[in-house]
Amino acid sequence: MSAITDAPVTRSRLTIGTQAALITLLVGAICLALEPVAPWLVKWPAAWVLPATDWVGTILTSVLTTMKPVARGFSALMAYPMDWANFVLNGTPWPLVIGIVTAVGWYLGGLPMATLGFLGLSFVLASGYWSESMNTLALVAVSVPLALIVGGAIGVLANEVPRMKNALQAVLDIMQTVPTFAYLTPLLLLFGFGPVVGLIASAIYAAPPMARNVLLGLERVESEVKEAAVMAGGTRLQQLFQVEIPSASTQIMVGVNQCLMAALSMVIIAAVIGGFNDIGWEVLLTMRKAQFGEALIAGMVIVVFAMVIDRMSGALATERKRYDTRVVWGLLGFAVIFTVAFWTRLPAPSDLTLLDPVSDALDNGLTDFTRANGASLDAFKNNSMFYVLLPLRIGLDQAVLPFTWGFTWTSNMSTGFFLTGAAIGAVLAWRGHVTRGVMVLIGFGMLETGVSNLPWPFVLTGAAALGWVAGGPRLAVLSAGLLSTILVSGLWDRALLSLYLSGAAVFACAIVGGLIGLMSAISPLAWKIVRPICDMLQTIPLFVFLIPVLMVFQIGEFSAFLAICAYAIVPMIRYTRHGLVNTPEEMMEAAIASGATQFQIMRDIKAPYAAPTILLGLNQTILYAFAMLVIAALIGTTGLGQSIYLALGKADIGLGISAGAAMAILALVADRLVQGFAEERRKALGL
Amino acid sequence: MTDANTSAIACQDLWQVFGHSGEKGAEKALTDALARSGNDADAAAKILRDAGYVPAVQDANFDVKEGELFVIMGLSGSGKSTLIRCISQLLDGTGGQIRIHGEDIMTASKQRLIELRRKKLGMVFQHFGLFPHMTVLDNVAYPLRVQGVSRKERLKKAAEVIELVGLEGREERYPRELSGGQRQRVGIARSLVADCEVWFLDEPFSALDPLIRRQLQDEFLEIQAKLKTTIVFITHDINEALKLADRIAIMRDGKIVQIGTPTDIVLNPVDDYVREFSKDVAKGQHARVASVMHQGTEGVGPDDPGLRTDMTLDAALAHCMELYEPVPVRDKEGNLVGMVNPADLAAALQVEEA
Repeated sequence: MSAITDAPVTRSRLTIGTQAALITLLVGAICLALEPVAPWLVKWPAAWVLPATDWVGTILTSVLTTMKPVARGFSALMAYPMDWANFVLNGTPWPLVIGIVTAVGWYLGGLPMATLGFLGLSFVLASGYWSESMNTLALVAVSVPLALIVGGAIGVLANEVPRMKNALQAVLDIMQTVPTFAYLTPLLLLFGFGPVVGLIASAIYAAPPMARNVLLGLERVESEVKEAAVMAGGTRLQQLFQVEIPSASTQIMVGVNQCLMAALSMVIIAAVIGGFNDIGWEVLLTMRKAQFGEALIAGMVIVVFAMVIDRMSGALATERKRYDTRVVWGLLGFAVIFTVAFWTRLPAPSDLTLLDPVSDALDNGLTDFTRANGASLDAFKNNSMFYVLLPLRIGLDQAVLPFTWGFTWTSNMSTGFFLTGAAIGAVLAWRGHVTRGVMVLIGFGMLETGVSNLPWPFVLTGAAALGWVAGGPRLAVLSAGLLSTILVSGLWDRALLSLYLSGAAVFACAIVGGLIGLMSAISPLAWKIVRPICDMLQTIPLFVFLIPVLMVFQIGEFSAFLAICAYAIVPMIRYTRHGLVNTPEEMMEAAIASGATQFQIMRDIKAPYAAPTILLGLNQTILYAFAMLVIAALIGTTGLGQSIYLALGKADIGLGISAGAAMAILALVADRLVQGFAEERRKALGL
Repeated sequence: MTDANTSAIACQDLWQVFGHSGEKGAEKALTDALARSGNDADAAAKILRDAGYVPAVQDANFDVKEGELFVIMGLSGSGKSTLIRCISQLLDGTGGQIRIHGEDIMTASKQRLIELRRKKLGMVFQHFGLFPHMTVLDNVAYPLRVQGVSRKERLKKAAEVIELVGLEGREERYPRELSGGQRQRVGIARSLVADCEVWFLDEPFSALDPLIRRQLQDEFLEIQAKLKTTIVFITHDINEALKLADRIAIMRDGKIVQIGTPTDIVLNPVDDYVREFSKDVAKGQHARVASVMHQGTEGVGPDDPGLRTDMTLDAALAHCMELYEPVPVRDKEGNLVGMVNPADLAAALQVEEA
């Protein structure tokens, strides 16, 4: 057959991957070689930069100014529900709130959930952050319905009008990839200072997950169910509301759960603009004052809310079982009686200082800890910085200094380094792995130059090459095109810095997370330990990750790196394990029956079969890393995140939006590339 | 080890119990249940069920002879797939003994099991169990690859087996590019590549449409005629069982209810469950003259329509349509061995109508 006669021909020709790698290598080599004569090949000259940031600023400012009256009107309108929510939550005596949450917990999840609700809110009460927490909840309570309606509408619309589906999905992508800080700036201009900005921002951030889940749920309704509704003679609306939406309810409730979590996370982030006495602000304030004990307690309050909301809405989505309503009424009745009986003696929640000793003890303990282990912590931090992060950032040729490494990097060493890379590459190529060989050489080159000093033609060619391999010419053009907009707008250097830090974090996550995932796949015991940690890390709002790293490692790039890793590692672990565990039973049996050992099964069957799933995990990790990168700007990173944060402080719309867009472009390109590879692998597996 | 007296496979008091408390818990529950019931399998099974366990295979006892094609048949959920997984040790087996060529494999070490699977056992799966990321050639060669056979040698061997199953020319295809029938040929080739002595087939043709199924059954019989391996074959299709089997074991709710030759099963079902199976079978095509023949030739009539012991009832009846008196029956060599009354022939066919 043709397959056989073609085989020798394909073997003698280079595969697309090899061609792409070779071209990239060539471009990189030329740039490096010509650097002395044509420095513009490495560094994009300032004179060529288009003042795009200013243009964006001018245009947006004028557009926003015209929209301002409408927005301010909306802002005034939204003030009403916000005030009501605030009034209700803050006005309700705390025993009643605790009672209601406990009762709801019982109804949804029985004793464990009721206990979680009761203990959680008791902790909040004892922390003395009760009214701040209620302010935060009020914001969530108003923004979530908004997000649910908008998200639900987008989801239904995408389902009803197939032609709009792609466009709507692109909008959703943008809403989720543009960093949260970035759209705070224009929102500030539109709506003025105040909680409404946080409200809108969180609604924008929380709507996409709802929309996606609604669309997914509706698409997954079995076609026979839909057809039965049509044949029963229902109108389109009847079909939708009586059959399709109820059939999709589980998926939609998953959307509600994600929407709630996103809203909470964003409400807390929005605290950076200030002006609203909520719990996020409290964290920020105490962190700035270096009162880490209090920051940690306030952070724990946020975590408690996140856990309670997540577990309860999760149970609402996935558990069918509901618990005895008599207990619910009993709990409520008890709360009412308690409130009435102790009405005059109820302490004001803000006067409660039960946990102050704890936070003091934490502070002292931390001081003692850092003092006792200061040397080793510093050594850890400095070693990681000087020997790993810095070389990655500025390259071995600049990072290797007598001060840190004990010797000076000479050009001879560079030559030797390149030759080593070339030798390893040549060996690989000779053994039939040409692409891998070229990639090794490229990797050596990047290590020598440093990510932030990479020549721009090399980066563009590399992105295009990856795009070509992952998804064909369209993806290649898209990747290179989008990245060049960053280049000409003058944000290139900062983008490379962001790329370096998130790249380093993603790399670390991929290795460590992959190994943990592998371990969890092999040993159920390991998974038993790892799983609750993963659950925990995924419920914690982004912001809270900063507190512990800051406590131990102070402000700086290394703390940011750790915070990003802690947040972004979870999907890598989960997807790796999931992929490895879910090999179809029969394939496993076939491998066992063939006489394969455990190791052979892992290497030959499980790992290749799990590849697409693991790639999706990597994709999530990349997106998580970018999201956290911007938040981490609060504790000192360079790059785009920092620009966005600065722009927020100066209300510089042009810079904020451009840097935000650049960030989104990086995330989008990375997302498409990895998705492309995952898709290619899936196709290769016939899935 | 392999002499004519040892069975290729011997199962004694084999149990597979699934439960909520892991393998150790199931083992203990089984020992307890057997002790309490005084080693009565049915009572023990009931005790286990009441305690929330699932006794998927209960007290299975049978031998498979060298070169025999042994079919295990039953409805879905009757435990036949569990049973074959016990014998191939994909499941551990909760109690009892399984010997393959005399070697107790329930107590064999992991290392020994891997060894056995590499050298002795082959298995074909209902949904093929092909590796989607490997070509046909690599799939078939995989059992040799895990043994560390050199690439050149294993591909050569794989190509031979691929030819045996009639897939030559498709070596470089991926499983997704093949039809169902072709995929199962790959599965068969893969299980044969390491020259297995005991061959397990778990409903290999059930996922295929009827025409392809028949074609593959015929090819399977041809392969078996060439290789003469010992075979355990699972199916839920009585016609398939009757067509292929030397002997059939019928399972219900984890228990083997009858073991016998195809004729036995069709003509002498032990209970209604087995009878229900053979109801759809054109009995005359499966039962042989030998099953209704009487010894001796007292009172044999003058006509000799030329009946032989191995003729099907249908064929025999066609030979003596107009005869009413007993006719002589000869064996393959033409020796007179008995007689049969034409009326008995007709009656045998009508048993199930009654």
